[in-house]
Amino acid sequence: MRWYAGLLLILSLSPSLQAVQEVYEFDKPAQREVFQRLSENLRCPKCQNQNIADSNALVSQDMKRKVYELIKKGYSEQQVIDYMKQRYGDFVYYQPPLNPLTLMLWMGPVLFMGLVLVVLIRRRKTQEKGFDKAMLAKAEKWLEDDK
Amino acid sequence: MKKLGLFLLPLLLFLLVSVFLLQGLFSDPTARQSSLLNRPVPEFSLADVMDDSVRYGPEVFAGEVTLLNVWGTWCVTCAYELPFLTGLREQGVRIVGLYYEQDLDPDFGAKSVSQIRQDIHKTLGQWGNPYAFNIFDQQRSLSLDLGVSGAPETFLIDAEGKIRLHHIGDVNERVWQEKFLPVYEQVSDNVAALKESGE
Repeated sequence: MRWYAGLLLILSLSPSLQAVQEVYEFDKPAQREVFQRLSENLRCPKCQNQNIADSNALVSQDMKRKVYELIKKGYSEQQVIDYMKQRYGDFVYYQPPLNPLTLMLWMGPVLFMGLVLVVLIRRRKTQEKGFDKAMLAKAEKWLEDDK
Repeated sequence: MKKLGLFLLPLLLFLLVSVFLLQGLFSDPTARQSSLLNRPVPEFSLADVMDDSVRYGPEVFAGEVTLLNVWGTWCVTCAYELPFLTGLREQGVRIVGLYYEQDLDPDFGAKSVSQIRQDIHKTLGQWGNPYAFNIFDQQRSLSLDLGVSGAPETFLIDAEGKIRLHHIGDVNERVWQEKFLPVYEQVSDNVAALKESGE
């Protein structure tokens, strides 16, 4: 039990727990919401897959600061996104735009569902064909016999 | 016929997926097109890293093809590419540094400007100095406007001050030959042609 207490002490002293978190203060709660949403949906350009809220990379901190500044200046959510896209490209926003490059990404699921629908309809048809009149008559007869 | 189709269809799908995944093996996940391509260098007014009284703006890129190299003494890969860049300078390529300091950020612990200058002297003395001069991007504002994600990164800027290439990562012989040289020769021809027509 003692070693456990010691371990807890060491853990609580580790620098990661004392890391300085930058505090962004807003006058309006609406602005804070926009900031929150933006830092979760803007992608860190340095990291492979992290939003700027999660990332500690220098560039993410700079971007967060910039987002804060812009919101304070009265930029709308879309204006901030455009500002970042102008600099870091479409990559920076987690929602990809519809363009020739991303067409497959957007249309893929629709195409796939269409394909499945076609296959289902065709199978249904062949199954219906399978019940021909002779078979039905036979079945009727069996039912009659059972009575 | 139907059986053949049932056999071929999965095979075809398998081959398609294989080709797609094979491509992924050789693609560079950090490579992406800069959105500033063929656009002029954004406005800025920043001091020289060695001398506060000297200030630079986008006009420093006018009239000459320039490599803008983003670096810092804290960045190991930047030091690694210094000898190669110095070689380029000796061949007549104009290279301007865009210096930014990680340690100047309060989040990373502070470092004084004189300490930075000392470190730069030391690093350049050790590995070679490819720079005509260094722009000090203290707040990393120009870096943000240029879409810089870290260091080292290098831009090729033509004589009209337009960005023609944005490379993320170090510049070495292979990158220079394959990526930079074709564009460099193209814009250098431009400069030569402009000078001829001006005469």
